[in-house]
Amino acid sequence: MHIPDAFIPLSQSLIYWVIALIFIGLSLRWARQELTDEKVPLIAVLAAGIFAIQAMNIPIPFGTSGHMVGAALAAIVIGSPFAGIFVLTLVLIVQGVLFADGGLTAMGANIINMGVIGGFVGFYGYNTMMGISRNMYISAFLAGYLSLLVSALLCAVEMAFAGTFPLVPGLVSMGTYHAVIGIIEGGITAIALYMIASARPDIMEHAAGVAA
Amino acid sequence: MDQKTFLMAGVALALLVAVAAPFLASGSPDGLESAFFGLYGAKTLTGSELDDDQAEVAEEEVVEKTGNDFEFASPMPDYTVEGWDKAGEVVAVVLGTLLMLGLVWGLGRAVAATKQ
Repeated sequence: MHIPDAFIPLSQSLIYWVIALIFIGLSLRWARQELTDEKVPLIAVLAAGIFAIQAMNIPIPFGTSGHMVGAALAAIVIGSPFAGIFVLTLVLIVQGVLFADGGLTAMGANIINMGVIGGFVGFYGYNTMMGISRNMYISAFLAGYLSLLVSALLCAVEMAFAGTFPLVPGLVSMGTYHAVIGIIEGGITAIALYMIASARPDIMEHAAGVAA
Repeated sequence: MDQKTFLMAGVALALLVAVAAPFLASGSPDGLESAFFGLYGAKTLTGSELDDDQAEVAEEEVVEKTGNDFEFASPMPDYTVEGWDKAGEVVAVVLGTLLMLGLVWGLGRAVAATKQ
């Protein structure tokens, strides 16, 4: 879902960058206040894993492929939507600058779609589902799924503002493909959560709803 | 599992995915590209055929539409190293993975340290 430069007029890219910078600032403030020293290696390993898995495009029907974004996973494991923004911002900078994966002028929009939406929908979606289902893995799957689908639909709206896609056909196309790609996002989020919870139950205590 | 083993297992898993990705990853357009090609007549919504000529036309058309012709020469575009083929892709993804590890660790330490 990495938007290339050509898809958004420069003036609009600038607006997305300004909004993204506000969230980057908030995520840095979160890191200063909440990211404890012992969580730093964990978030670094998560970021490395998320970068690698983003390179793994999985084929879906319709001659299309999709890959995991990972903001929901980071937000759930670290316990804050800002963790998703923190990780995805750095992933997108490295991808855009070194590998031409996602534009540079369009990076603000990509940070909003994948980092901000991914982090917030992933984190609050997970907590809401935990309240209903009390099952970490069902909650993680649905939160991952929903985070990807909402990102894609917002992307379609941005493409409509840009004049790149007509609104309704854009929503239908983006919705169709990402309704399938969401299964990849949700599935890997749940599997990764299971692996982390099995190896280190202590890390996942907050996410298992012990506080409730 | 102790912290060190856990982190090393995590890094090993990330590197395993990084090495495997160039061999396993699908080269089909992603969701956004597919939507783009579909809306610009290079494929149908649910069809798997991509009209390469029309896809090229679409890419020119969108630049005309948005007026954004910004270009930037990335050193390893699309996770490739010039003249290196598959090995170059592995190098690119592995390098990116290790860079992420170092970057987030370093920045995390730098900002988290101000608290303690």
